[in-house]
Amino acid sequence: MKSARLPGLRSIRLALGAVREHSGAPGAELYVKAGNTCRIEIDPWMTPVTTDPDDLQAQVSVLDERGWALRAGGARRALFLADSGPLPGPSGWRRVNRHSLRPGALRLPSPSSDTTPRTTPSPAADAGEPPPDDEETAGLAFLRDLLRCLGERMPEARLVRGRLDSGASAAVLASTTGVTGRSARRLATVELDFAISRDGRQTHCSLYRAASNLHLLGADSIAGEIAERLTLATAPPPPFLPTGEVAVSPALACNLLALLAPLLRGRDGWRRLRKLGAGQPLGPPQLQIVDDGALDAGWMSAASDDEGVPTRAVALVRDGEPGEPLLSWEDDGWSGYAAAGCRRRSGWRALPELCHSHLYIAGASEPAESIRSGIVHGCYLLDRAHDGRCQATFEPSTNGGERRPEEGRFEVDAIGLVIRRGAIVGEAPKVRLTGSLRQLLRGIRAIGDDLRFLPAPGAVGAPTLLLTGLQVEAVG
Amino acid sequence: MRSNANGAEQRRRLISDVAAPADALTRLVAHGDQQFEAFFERVESVELLPKGAPNRVRLRKEQGLAIRKIENGRSRLAAADTISGPAFAACCDRVAGTARSIGTAPPRIRTGRWPALRLAEIEQAESRLTRAVNRRRVGFPMEITARRHRRQIQVIRSPIAAPPQFEEYFSLQAKTPWGVWGGLLPSLADEDLDPIALCLVDRLRSRGLPPHRGGAGVIVLGPNAAAVLLHEVVAHALEADTLALSGAPDQAVGLKLGGPELDVVDDPSSAPRVCKRSSDDEGTAVISRWLLRRGRVRQPLADLAWAERCPGMIPGAARRASRHRLPGPRTSHLELLPGAIPEGDLFAEAAGGIYIGEFDSGSLDPLNGRCVLRAPCGRRIGASGPVDHTGPIEIRSRAADLLAAVTAVADRPLAAGAGWCAKDGALMPVWARCPSIRLEGLQVAD
Repeated sequence: MKSARLPGLRSIRLALGAVREHSGAPGAELYVKAGNTCRIEIDPWMTPVTTDPDDLQAQVSVLDERGWALRAGGARRALFLADSGPLPGPSGWRRVNRHSLRPGALRLPSPSSDTTPRTTPSPAADAGEPPPDDEETAGLAFLRDLLRCLGERMPEARLVRGRLDSGASAAVLASTTGVTGRSARRLATVELDFAISRDGRQTHCSLYRAASNLHLLGADSIAGEIAERLTLATAPPPPFLPTGEVAVSPALACNLLALLAPLLRGRDGWRRLRKLGAGQPLGPPQLQIVDDGALDAGWMSAASDDEGVPTRAVALVRDGEPGEPLLSWEDDGWSGYAAAGCRRRSGWRALPELCHSHLYIAGASEPAESIRSGIVHGCYLLDRAHDGRCQATFEPSTNGGERRPEEGRFEVDAIGLVIRRGAIVGEAPKVRLTGSLRQLLRGIRAIGDDLRFLPAPGAVGAPTLLLTGLQVEAVG
Repeated sequence: MRSNANGAEQRRRLISDVAAPADALTRLVAHGDQQFEAFFERVESVELLPKGAPNRVRLRKEQGLAIRKIENGRSRLAAADTISGPAFAACCDRVAGTARSIGTAPPRIRTGRWPALRLAEIEQAESRLTRAVNRRRVGFPMEITARRHRRQIQVIRSPIAAPPQFEEYFSLQAKTPWGVWGGLLPSLADEDLDPIALCLVDRLRSRGLPPHRGGAGVIVLGPNAAAVLLHEVVAHALEADTLALSGAPDQAVGLKLGGPELDVVDDPSSAPRVCKRSSDDEGTAVISRWLLRRGRVRQPLADLAWAERCPGMIPGAARRASRHRLPGPRTSHLELLPGAIPEGDLFAEAAGGIYIGEFDSGSLDPLNGRCVLRAPCGRRIGASGPVDHTGPIEIRSRAADLLAAVTAVADRPLAAGAGWCAKDGALMPVWARCPSIRLEGLQVAD
């Protein structure tokens, strides 16, 4: 997205002046966002992967999106107004008047004194905008490559559904308190659903991957992941499932970390995280959990969040102990902790909300391969089972159910391998991994060096983990 | 009177003159296999949050257009977040793949006025719902979020312009200490709020109760719950794109899915007054479509693309979540035709079973046909009807088994089961009209 398409700060300040004049609001903030996306969708025709790539029923959409959001008001009356299209000129704000403000409060951040917002877009966004036709050509080529690579590995697989989004967006904001911010990012995501019928067993697998650039998605590696998952999902269940050690791949570890996300943000999350530790360390000394809105080369990387507050790395868990909470500017100074830019909007229509940007378990020095090969008798779990459970409960049920002494449990259905003395001795097409959230962190015995990010809301990253003390049982 | 009606019609028009864009679209057609379609959309949502929330009133407006080329079953779409001649021309160029595809001058497109912003009815929602609860001689703290949604669309498929469509409806979320209720309403009048009060009081009385664990038995579903079940296992299952996941969609016609008491129709033109449609989101006239006739599949839901691929299918069920999404076949307003059994008799023959008034979520796995329905509470059926309350209930079953288990349909249909459908991440309002039904021989999982 070319930043020239966005209004300059002077235009926004003029608009803010007009809003204050017409509405009498003491404070106001304007957020403007523009973006474009090339989307390629494959219709659900159960396309065999060996089909002629030119016969793909590809539906192409080229989307231009732009809109703005206004927050105006004071301590007693406020307004939130969002609209599509370009920002109105100063005379276009007459419709916002004193009657537009309704009971409610508006609070806006003040400019930070200790940090200067960097206005440089992330490196990914700096790379320039390829023409939409190029994106379409590259997207179709990626899908064809993917089908070819998968066809070579697993010719009986069928593409059920596919969707590839590749685009760029840029945003600018300014408020009457003097806060300004700019951000720009590029992102390519692919959602794939494949099915297979083998030895009378039918199954399918879904994959959702993202990269800051379409060319970084890697058709061959994704095809490999799909083939691996389909092979496992169609395997017969093992006669015996060892429950001692469980190694989880980065993909599954990301899902487990995402389940913990409510404990890792805000004041309430911090209280629960401390309670989870109950005065003891949360995990091993090498455990570091970080949220970093300014992560180098991250998909969501930006100098400031969607309210113009500078982002930074926040060590949520440091050396296995609670580090510092992820707090927005409204909670700055709570319990002596500093805030970070962490309020994001899901789009121009949305208000900013406290959320993670790059939440990850930092990789350690142990090679992931040595973790897998070091399993004496256990499982290596590869990913979530497509149609299985993946949930965590944080409070005892208020509507019945047993009350448990420890706070929070999780259960995740996964696919994986049975390992004995480092060698694969069988497949586990569907197992259920369960346990307490406390044990999930405390039972981490090794952390690999293969940190990888997956798209969740935001980006969630984790390396291979070796877990102990959890329950594993066969399902189905 | 006529001038007033015309005035209202004018105000509901999204664009004042459809001739210019229709004429421009005809210039795009290079050969007979190509079709071009323009979709104009205007959406408004007003949200009133509970007292004390920041930015309590939230107003979102947006408008835009999309141009689509359909050729040999493939679509190419270009969309923009503004309605103007230059934006129209730019989108035409993108789908045609050439510059100045409609000539040098973009068509003049003028938009009508937005409907007046009426906040009073939304502001009264909380007090009206509280009164409806109090009429049942109970009271408890609630945080109410009320929203009004309006959508205007205009579709032009060269050279025909479909009638403009306008929808207005409300959504409500009531947060109580024991859970959240959410749903759609055609209005915020007392008669639409009363059933919600009943649901909230049922949830109050079942709070803290353990999940219901039971074996096979009789289950009576109230109109709301029956609507959710039919939405999942009939409507979704008979959408052409869902059918295509397991074979050719038209091969489903004639399949027996349930007993002869099941007559299910999808008819967008008989939805609640403020949401009824005369044409779908592709501009095709809607029809009253028999999905199931005496338990057999009659006519799956299809849009233009699927009707082109499967000649036996009739288009008219296309819906799009927004101008940025391609249309797809979706249900709008589902009706289960009433049976001959008085509602009281359903209970008389179901003593010892479970009554479920509402499901708060449902899902269907289109590849294996498994369906999961979750109810926040239920009631045991005694000799005289529903008696004591139970905790949450979860039903897991195959869609075919659920339909085969329906043994009786009551004689009194009600508008019920309105809610958001989130298939493929595209949020759309759905409406229904259903009587109560009885199921026998189902497993109720915990």
